Amino acid sequence: MASINSPSAVSTDDPPGWTYNPSAWSERIPIAAAAVIGLGIAVYLSLFQLNVVGSVWDPFFGSASSEKILTSSLSRVLPIPDAALGAISYLLDAVSGVIGKTRRWKTMPWIVLVFGFAVGPLGVTSLFLVIAQPVFFQAWCSLCLASAVISTVMIGPAMDEVLASLQYLQRVKRSGFSVWKALWGDAEINRQVA
Amino acid sequence: MWARFINIGIGLWLMVSPAVLPLSEKAAEHQYLVGPVMVAFAIIAISEATRNVRYVNTLIGVWLLVAPWVLGDHSTLETLNVMAAGVLITGLSLVKGKIENRFGGGWRSLLEETPEHMQ
Repeated sequence: MASINSPSAVSTDDPPGWTYNPSAWSERIPIAAAAVIGLGIAVYLSLFQLNVVGSVWDPFFGSASSEKILTSSLSRVLPIPDAALGAISYLLDAVSGVIGKTRRWKTMPWIVLVFGFAVGPLGVTSLFLVIAQPVFFQAWCSLCLASAVISTVMIGPAMDEVLASLQYLQRVKRSGFSVWKALWGDAEINRQVA
Repeated sequence: MWARFINIGIGLWLMVSPAVLPLSEKAAEHQYLVGPVMVAFAIIAISEATRNVRYVNTLIGVWLLVAPWVLGDHSTLETLNVMAAGVLITGLSLVKGKIENRFGGGWRSLLEETPEHMQ
């Protein structure tokens, strides 16, 4: 097999059959950074929804358009404003993105799966809200769109690590060990299974 | 990579064109729906490990080719706009592009008898 001339290609942290390590910091830091930016936007938007700030910055569609979206009936469906829910999701993305060392696809599959499940639904929810803006409210919200782009951009780069963890759990199962124990990072299984 | 970026552009065009072209409300709402979905899957397909979600855009592209007749009431302009987008996105979603890394057999390995990452 042709080796790829990236530094990680020789690293022993690479999962079997991989040319790089999806849990390397160079893979995870950019995703966590995107989550932090998303968190900042979501906190700002929720401060408006909680009446802490009086107006929302919108260079493209105007503050009135953004505020129409942010005060819509849909944004109040849940007990907390939808931007606050977004902020919580971004925080979970960022935290679950940085927890664990560079072999966590194997040593902490559970956090990788939490990370994957945190990134996925946030993206789906954002997509729904982007569609809802023009269809239900005939308005757009620049920062909401920016947040949607950020949450979508995070999905692809996050999923490779999920794949590596699932493949590890597959090897654990085929080797006859407990998948449940391996999920929580059982050290003995870590030693026995590649 | 470029195929994904062009598809992102086409999806954005479907979202923007109701503001530029004289489209009916029905045609506009249809584009507001499919545009963001196309953009989202094109973005996710940029990553090598999730490149194959591009086939979702293949399906959407085929839908766009028949949508004017299924939905009805599409003017010539609306039909041309949607079909041109459909032809382009179908073709471009079939462009695999460069895959430089290996992923132990990828997602399909999870269902295989002898996955690449166990050999």
